[in-house]
This record gives sequence, C-alpha cells and structure tokens, in this order.
Amino acid sequence: MFCINVDNLSKSYGSVKAVNSITMSVKSGQVFGFLGPNGAGKSTIIKLLTTLIQPSSGSVNILGIDAIKNPLKVRHKIGVVLQQPSYEPTLTVEKSLEKYGMMWNIPKTESKKRTTELLKDFDLIEIRKKRNEDLSIGQRRRVQVAREFMHDMDLLFLDEPTVGLDPSARRKLLDYLKNRVKTGLTIFFTTHILTEAEYLCDEIAIMDKGKILAFDTPNALKNRFGKDKTIKIHLIKNRQEIKPLLSGIPDCKIDFNTGTNITIHSTKSELVLMKILRVLNDNGIDVDDLSAVPTNLEEIFLKMVEENVSDN
Amino acid sequence: MYPIIRLVNRNLTISINPAFLLWQIIFPVIYIFIAGFAYSSLIQEIPFGPKGLAYPAFLASGMIGFNIMNSTLVSGIIIWNDRKYGMFEQIMSGPFTRSNYILSNICTIGIIGLVSAALIAIIGYPAFFDSIDFSFVTIPLIVFAAVTGSVLFGSIASIIATKLKSSEGFNVILNTAFLFFAFVSTAFYPAEGAPEPLRTAFYLNPLTYLVDVIRAGIFGEITEIVILEMGILTIIASTLFIIATKLLTKLDF
Repeated sequence: MFCINVDNLSKSYGSVKAVNSITMSVKSGQVFGFLGPNGAGKSTIIKLLTTLIQPSSGSVNILGIDAIKNPLKVRHKIGVVLQQPSYEPTLTVEKSLEKYGMMWNIPKTESKKRTTELLKDFDLIEIRKKRNEDLSIGQRRRVQVAREFMHDMDLLFLDEPTVGLDPSARRKLLDYLKNRVKTGLTIFFTTHILTEAEYLCDEIAIMDKGKILAFDTPNALKNRFGKDKTIKIHLIKNRQEIKPLLSGIPDCKIDFNTGTNITIHSTKSELVLMKILRVLNDNGIDVDDLSAVPTNLEEIFLKMVEENVSDN
Repeated sequence: MYPIIRLVNRNLTISINPAFLLWQIIFPVIYIFIAGFAYSSLIQEIPFGPKGLAYPAFLASGMIGFNIMNSTLVSGIIIWNDRKYGMFEQIMSGPFTRSNYILSNICTIGIIGLVSAALIAIIGYPAFFDSIDFSFVTIPLIVFAAVTGSVLFGSIASIIATKLKSSEGFNVILNTAFLFFAFVSTAFYPAEGAPEPLRTAFYLNPLTYLVDVIRAGIFGEITEIVILEMGILTIIASTLFIIATKLLTKLDF
C-alpha cells in the first residue's frame, strides 16, 4: 500500500521551476530517503507534501486523502520536522514538549507520560529545565524532533533532521527512527548525508534541479549505477613515478594521487587489481595497504548529479 | 478542545511572563500615583461635561486605554516571534488553519486587553472613586472599549509584524507608532487648551476615541459624540482587522 502518491507535481516561482513534473509513490511502513544537493528542491517537495504550499500543477495524495482539496485532513495525520529550527524561545524544554502535546489535543496525563519518555529517549533529561533560547543548535534540533513524537501520526516528514547533531546523537536518532518504523510509522526523510540514507532508508530517490534522477532501494541503486569499484593503495614511501607506471593498465582511472595515497576507479576491479600488484612488484614498490571497495551511495549520488549538470 | 482555544492557551503561555505582568502594573501605578498627583498642582481640574475631573481621575481613566493599547503589542510580538523562530510554519503544518491562527491571536489580545483594563480600573479606583458615576452601561462600555481597542491596536501590531523582517525595524517602528498614539492623544491630557494642529492630531488618533469611550463609561457622560466615536472605533478596528487578516493569509513560507 502506498501512503504518498504524487502525479506530475510541479512548483514554479516565477520562471524558476523548483519542482519539475515529479511522479512517484512511497510505500507505507518504511523509511523513504529523498536525497539531493542543496537547492535540489527537497524542501519544496516537503512543503508541497505537507500542504504548506500549493503546487503549480499536478496532484498530491497523502494517506488516501487529496492534499490539495483537504489539506487540514492531511495535517491531522502527519508529523513535520522542517529544516529550519522552530521553537518557543522562552519555554523550557519540558514545557515546550507539554505545550506541543496540548496543541495536538493530547490529554494531559498522556502528554506528561510522553514527555517523560521522550526526554529520556532523546537524552534531554539534564536540560529539561533549560529555556529553548539557551540551548545549543544540536540540543534544539533534538528537542524539535522529539517534540514531533508528542502526537500520533501515520506519516512523518523529516527535513534534514540530523543537521547540527554530533555523530553519537545522530546515530541514536537514526536508531530511534528505525524502531518507530517497526511500529508502523512511515518516514519521509531528506538528507544530503548519504551514509545516513544508506543506514536508514528502505527506498531512495535522488533529486536534482527539481527532477527525480533515480528511485530505488539503496542496493538496487548500487547494482544499477555502482558497477565501478574503488581501489585504494597506500605506499610506504612516496613514489611519484607510480602514475606513468599505472597508466598502461586498461580501465584504470586514477582519481587521486599524492605519491603515497592513490585512488583508482575501475569497472573490472579484480583484473585491474592483479595487474596493479604485478606492476608494483616488478618495480619494487612496497605497499602498506591495498583494497578494493564497492562504490558507495555517495559516489553514485555525486556521479548522477555531475551527469545531470553536464546533460543540462 | 477547539483548535482556537488550544492556540490561545499556547499564546498566553508564551507571552505572559513575570516581567510583562510587572510592567503592566508598575507603569500605570507610577503614572497614576506619581505623575497624576504631582501634576495635580499644575492641572487642578479638567472640564468634563457639566462637571470637572481631578487630574489623577482623568489620568487613571486614560491609563486604562493606554494599557489596553500597550498590552496589544503582544499580538505583534507573537506573530513576529512565530515567524522568526519558525513556529508559524510549524503551526501551519499542524492541525490548524490560518483562520484559527488569526482568531486565536485576536482572542489572546482580547483577553489580555480585558484583564489589563480590569487591572488598571482596580489600581486606579482610589484615584477616580469620588468622580465615578456607575451605571448599567459602565461595564459594557469598558468591555466594548477593551475588545475594540485590542482588535484595533492588535491589528496594527500584526500588520507591522507581517511586513518587517528585522527585529530592529520591528521594534523601532512599533515603538514609534505606539509612542505617537500614546502622546498625541487625550490619554494623558485633555484636547482642550492644546495648540490647534495638535488638537486636530489628537482626533486623528484612535486612542483618543478609545479613551473618550472609557471615560464616558466610568464618569457617566455618554453623549452623541461618544456614540459617534464608538462607531468610528468599530469601523477603524474592522478595517484594520481585515487588512491584518489578508496580510497574514498571504504570508509566505
């Protein structure tokens, strides 16, 4: 079953097309990752899907509801954590969670219970009496995300929720989201941190300049676009002559070379690796470390965005 | 709970703080009991209808209107803060409509205006108790003035809040506007005796009408002019409210 159905969705600001005829469907009960560089149109898509702005054309169906005709009905069923910070500066962390629960009509006893749980789950207990204006950016972001779990929802939109979080808080948040998805929640997640998307998302769409460039599971995307492997060599001594030595090997594209650290791209990595070893051995070059790693999502993403730029 | 009530609850929580309450009480107390009695040696009696009013009584009744106006600054501050700190967008992505948001602001300033009027009426009572002419229209008139005045000045503050993005600009323009309203009005001194251009300016200021209606209610001087002033107040408040609502409806994310 799909919880988001978008057909030919476009949004223009004057002559600029922020979203250009997007059609997609997102399955329920999963984390859907929406990736793209800055200015790709991710936040505009979130604003369209959360009914904050109206599209120029196309249709949007959220949880079986026409979002253009019945925006309020949609908003009762979704949660939204926008990219920009949102907080009441003078309220304490604890009070802002309770007030947010009240705004969503959560009964007082239930609101108290949820506040206690969320303060614990998001490591906010120590700062619960601090005013929002006195928090660090990362703490404020944690409060903003935690606050959204004060109310019940079927679909949660998270627009770059980990911005400003340290690695440990980031991992904790991602794990928390994974657990919530197990209870039936669907998450629409935008980020430009590709490792996050790889860790969290069941399906991914890559977007740039208002268009979707690819849409699939992370593994399928890797299989489809990531036949290349990256060979990484670390030499014991600096050997500047390595470049001409390796240039004779077919399908061996040197991406990075400092004389001791060399990164090579190849579609036939096993064969190329063997040839590299032979060259190194024949020339008496001592190797500290040598590995062939599969292309990760980040490289696929960069490649697709670069190709899109050159196509345009 | 209805969405508007929930938003009013939230608005009151974020805008009422000890500093605000203290200011709302201390400022009028200083004016009424220090300035009021200090100036009474200079201004002995102010003609008011067939009778005269002692200056402290005149000032205390003017302070009710002044405080209603001052408390409606909250409306602009709520909107401006909501925009600055991302809460406007957050609320609009929740189970609320723009109408809920606008009406909740009006209700908030209505409540603050009424409480403020009641507070000053209680504080100022010793100053005007011997001139008070309590009748069946006194309370309705003060309630009318509090609500209409709140909507009127709240709309002005809201319009300024929707139009300005920098905090400096917002504070300077709002304070300048409200300073003009406060001192180019009959809140602190009567129009009679003022130089002609200033006297005309007094009657271009809605605070003058508001204060006149309040004084008429408290001191029992309801004349045709007061009824006309009530009509003018209602028209200005409605017009400004429509403009503020339109601007808020068009506010972009």
